[in-house]
Amino acid sequence: MNNSSLWIVLQRMRLPFTIIVLTYAIAMAGLLIITGFDEQGNPYRMSIFDAFYFITYTATTIGFGETPFTFTYPQRMWVTISIYLTVLGWFYGIGTLVSLLQDKLFLSEIARAKFIRAVKNIKEDFVIILGYNDTTSEIIKKMIDDNMRVVVIEKEQQRADYLSLEGFIPHVPVLVADVHSPTSLECAGIKSVHCKGIISLFESNLLNMRVTLASRILNSHIMIAVRSSTDIETANLLDAGANIVENPLAIISYQISMALNTPSLFKLENWLYNIDNLDCKTFSIPKEKIMICGFGRLGKSLYNVFAKNGIKPIVIEIDIDIVSEAIAKDIDTVVCGNAEDRSLLEKLNIQDMNLIIVATNDDTTNLSIVSTIRSVNKHTMIVARENELSDFSIFSAAKIDHIFLPSEILIHKTTNAIINPLSDKLMRLLQSKDEQWGQQLLAKLIKTINVNPITFELNINKIEAIELYNYLSKSENSVTLNEIRRSRRDREQFNNIVPLLISRSQEDILLPSYDYELKIGDRILLACDENSQEDVEYIVNNVYEFHYIITGEERNYLNKFISRS
Amino acid sequence: MNLDKVIAGFFIILAMTLNFGFFYGDALDMHMHSKYELFAAIIVNIIATVLKLGDKTQMGSVLIATSLVADLQLIAAASIWTIYSVDGTIDPEVFGVIISLSGGALLANITSVILYIGDTLKSKR
Repeated sequence: MNNSSLWIVLQRMRLPFTIIVLTYAIAMAGLLIITGFDEQGNPYRMSIFDAFYFITYTATTIGFGETPFTFTYPQRMWVTISIYLTVLGWFYGIGTLVSLLQDKLFLSEIARAKFIRAVKNIKEDFVIILGYNDTTSEIIKKMIDDNMRVVVIEKEQQRADYLSLEGFIPHVPVLVADVHSPTSLECAGIKSVHCKGIISLFESNLLNMRVTLASRILNSHIMIAVRSSTDIETANLLDAGANIVENPLAIISYQISMALNTPSLFKLENWLYNIDNLDCKTFSIPKEKIMICGFGRLGKSLYNVFAKNGIKPIVIEIDIDIVSEAIAKDIDTVVCGNAEDRSLLEKLNIQDMNLIIVATNDDTTNLSIVSTIRSVNKHTMIVARENELSDFSIFSAAKIDHIFLPSEILIHKTTNAIINPLSDKLMRLLQSKDEQWGQQLLAKLIKTINVNPITFELNINKIEAIELYNYLSKSENSVTLNEIRRSRRDREQFNNIVPLLISRSQEDILLPSYDYELKIGDRILLACDENSQEDVEYIVNNVYEFHYIITGEERNYLNKFISRS
Repeated sequence: MNLDKVIAGFFIILAMTLNFGFFYGDALDMHMHSKYELFAAIIVNIIATVLKLGDKTQMGSVLIATSLVADLQLIAAASIWTIYSVDGTIDPEVFGVIISLSGGALLANITSVILYIGDTLKSKR
C-alpha cells in the first residue's frame, strides 16, 4: 500500500470507532424504547432521528437541551447512563487520534512518504549524497552551482534539521534513515533514470564498502564515489564496482610528491581543481632538513614519499609502540616524544629545519605544535594538516605557509569526477607526464589566455551543438578546431582558446592541434576565457553565426535556398 | 478457533441478515418493513466496516469497498425516511425509494459475504 500513514491511522482507530458506534446504539435504543410525555400529557415515542440527534449533541458535550419535549424521569435516568457511556467513548476516540498524530512512527512515516514524493518529482539529473557535514555541505553547494540536483540521506535528525535550515534552492530533499539498509537507498531514488551518482564519504571503510555493493546491485550505471583510507581498501572498493575512490591521505602525499618533482604539474592540478591560479606562488619543497610531527597514516605516507626521493626527514611521534614498530622497519630517524614540548624541539635543532610538517590527526594538537614552533623559530616553513573544515579560520590565522585540507581536496575531486568528467580524465592523463611537458603547457595557457582560464566542456550532439551536429552529419563536410576558435566579430581573428582534450569512444587525444578534425560524438575540453566560451557556444548552436564562421558570408534569405539544394 | 475471525464473520453475516430482514416483504406495504430493523442494520453495518479497516491486502480493500457501499445506501435510506416523515406519513413512492436503496445495500452485503467466504476457503488452514 502506498499511503501507509493513512492505513496506520485507520488500523489504530478501529477500536475507538467500534466503541463509539456501540455506545451510540445502546443509548439510542434505550431512548427509543422509553415512552415520554408531551406538553399535553400524551405519550409518545422518540423517532430514530430524534434519538440520534439528541445523542450526538450529548456525547460531544454540546448539550442543547431536552428535545422534542421535556423528559420524564425514566428518560432522564437513561440519559444519565448514556452520557457516561457515550462521552467516555468520544474522549477515548479523540485521545487515540491525538496520540496517534504525535506518534513517532507515524510522523516518520509521513516524512518518508513526503521524501519519496519529492524525489519522484525531480525530473532532472540528481546525485545522492550520504551524510550531512561540512564536507558534504560544500559538495552540495558546488553541485547546485553546476545545476545538478541533490538528494541527501542522513542518520541524525539534528543534522537533517540543519540541512533544512540552510534552505538550498532548488530544494534538497533529506531523509533521516540509516544507510545500512538498502531500502533507504531505494527511497532516495537510486533506481531512477535521473540518478547520476552517489557519494559516500564516511570515515568507516566498512560502511563505504557496503554502500558500494548495494548501489552497484541496485543501479549498474551510476557513478559511485567513495572515500577510502588505505590502498588495500581502495583496491577492494574498485573491485566492488566503485568508479571513484579517493584516499585523502594519499592525495596529500601525492601532492607533495608532485610539488617535489614536477611543480608545474602541481600548479596545473591546483588550477583544474579551482584551488588557485596558474601563477600561484610555487610551493617549493626543500630537499633536506625536514621534520614530520606525527607518524600516523599521513606521517607514514609522507615519510615514504620523501624516502622515495632520497630525503630522510626526522619524525617525532608520541606513541612508543608506533616508534618501536618504525625502528624495527629500519626507520632510524624516528624520535619518541611530545612535539608540543619546546625543550625536545630545541634539542632536535628546530632552528635549522627548513620545513616542518605537522601531521597529527587532532587539530588542537596541530595548532599547539605550530605555535610552539613559531615561538622558537619564526622563519621556518610550516605545513599543517587540517582535519575539520570548521577549523579553517583558526588555521589561516596561525600564519601557516600551506595548509593541507584533505576534505577540500576530496570535495573538489568528487564533484569534478561527477560534474566535469573530462577534467577528471585530463587529471589522470597529466599524472604520467613530466616536468618539461608541464612547463610547456603552463606557459602556453598563460600566454594564450590568462592566469586563470576557465574550462569548458563541449559535447558534439544534438542538444549542445545542433548546428555543428547537422553540418557534420553530411559526410562531405569537415570541421577542425580552428573553425571553432574563430572570433564572431571577425573570422580572421582567433579567440583565446587552448584545446586540452578530445574524448572519443576508443581514444583520448591530449592537447590536440588546431587542425584536428572533429567528429560527431566528440567530447572536447577547452581552456578559454569567458568571452571565448560564449563565442564557441554561439557558433555551434546558432545557424547564422555558424554559417558566417564556416563560409565567411552572412547568411541571408537567398543563401538559405541555395545551400538547401 | 480464531476469535478474531469469529467476531469479524459474525458481524459481517449479521449485517447481511438484518439488511435482508428489512428488505424482505411487499414493497408497497409499510407495515412489513420495520424502521427499528433498519436502525439495527445500519449500526451493525458500520461496525462491520470498522472491523474491516486496516487491512492492506487486495481482498481487504475490496471488502471495505463493498461495506462502504452498503453503509452509504442504508444511511441514504434512513435519511430519506427521516426527512419525509417530518410532515406526516410517507407516500408509497418515497417508500419505494427507501426499499430499493436497502435492496442495493443488500446486494453489496451479499457480495461482501461471498468474498469473505471465498477468502476463508482459499486459506488452506
